[in-house]
Amino acid sequence: MAEIGRVRIRIPSSIKQGDIVKVRVLVIHPMEIVQRKDGKPVDKNYHFINRVVVTYLDHDIAQFETSQSISENPFFAFAFKAVEPGVLKVTFLDTHGGKYEGTAEIKFS
Amino acid sequence: MAPPLSETRLTRRALLQALGAAGLCSLAAPDPGILTLALAQGNPGRLEPEESVDATMKRLFGTQPIKDGSSVIKLDLPLIAENGAVVPVSVEMTAPQTPQSHVKAIYIISDKNRRPLTAKFTLSPPLGYPYVATNLRLGESTDVRAVAQMSDGSLLMAKREVKVTVGGCGG
Repeated sequence: MAEIGRVRIRIPSSIKQGDIVKVRVLVIHPMEIVQRKDGKPVDKNYHFINRVVVTYLDHDIAQFETSQSISENPFFAFAFKAVEPGVLKVTFLDTHGGKYEGTAEIKFS
Repeated sequence: MAPPLSETRLTRRALLQALGAAGLCSLAAPDPGILTLALAQGNPGRLEPEESVDATMKRLFGTQPIKDGSSVIKLDLPLIAENGAVVPVSVEMTAPQTPQSHVKAIYIISDKNRRPLTAKFTLSPPLGYPYVATNLRLGESTDVRAVAQMSDGSLLMAKREVKVTVGGCGG
């Protein structure tokens, strides 16, 4: 699991100013499932991503609260309006204090 | 004989009022089970409570009316999911995001999962267009709901059924 936290962001190859851009993000993460013993959930600090923050031009534009009902190696997609060239950053936070970031440069062609 | 009678009445009324208040308090107090689990884990990312979907809807939205939003919410799911561990879902709304009227949050809820709330997407006007997608884990064939909370506070819901061949929760 050396790859935990590798983030891949895909944006369209050509973006025009004012476009609505669909972004796809993938992160490598186990998203641990709740374990059960005798039908009861085992009480422990499960390792899963519980927060995703999307930042564009240094503003938080979206925030996702996720649970372990999201698949392993979670994939998220969202749309945003490209108003200015700048950096789009997606930050993943997990319950063990991990912080994984992926960035994409938004440029107009 | 009038004074003693009124006295009895008052006492009974006071007693009933006290009982009623006590009942309300016990309802308003948080579920001790959830609280202890959160404290024991000691991290901000506690698990969602295990509950029925009705309890989830009540916890999230209270008694607020939920309107049928199937005409404006496009909820895209496979009809049959062979592998419950990875079920792609996307939620798209026809109206654009404007500062006056936008989607504040989209909740994705799967009815038969032990913890029905799978994700909450908080959105903002700069996004321009309300669209989110992700992959879900579904335990069995179930209804999946998408609830959109609009900026004026109203709630819209769309619902779709997914048939799951192999469950993805592993117990």
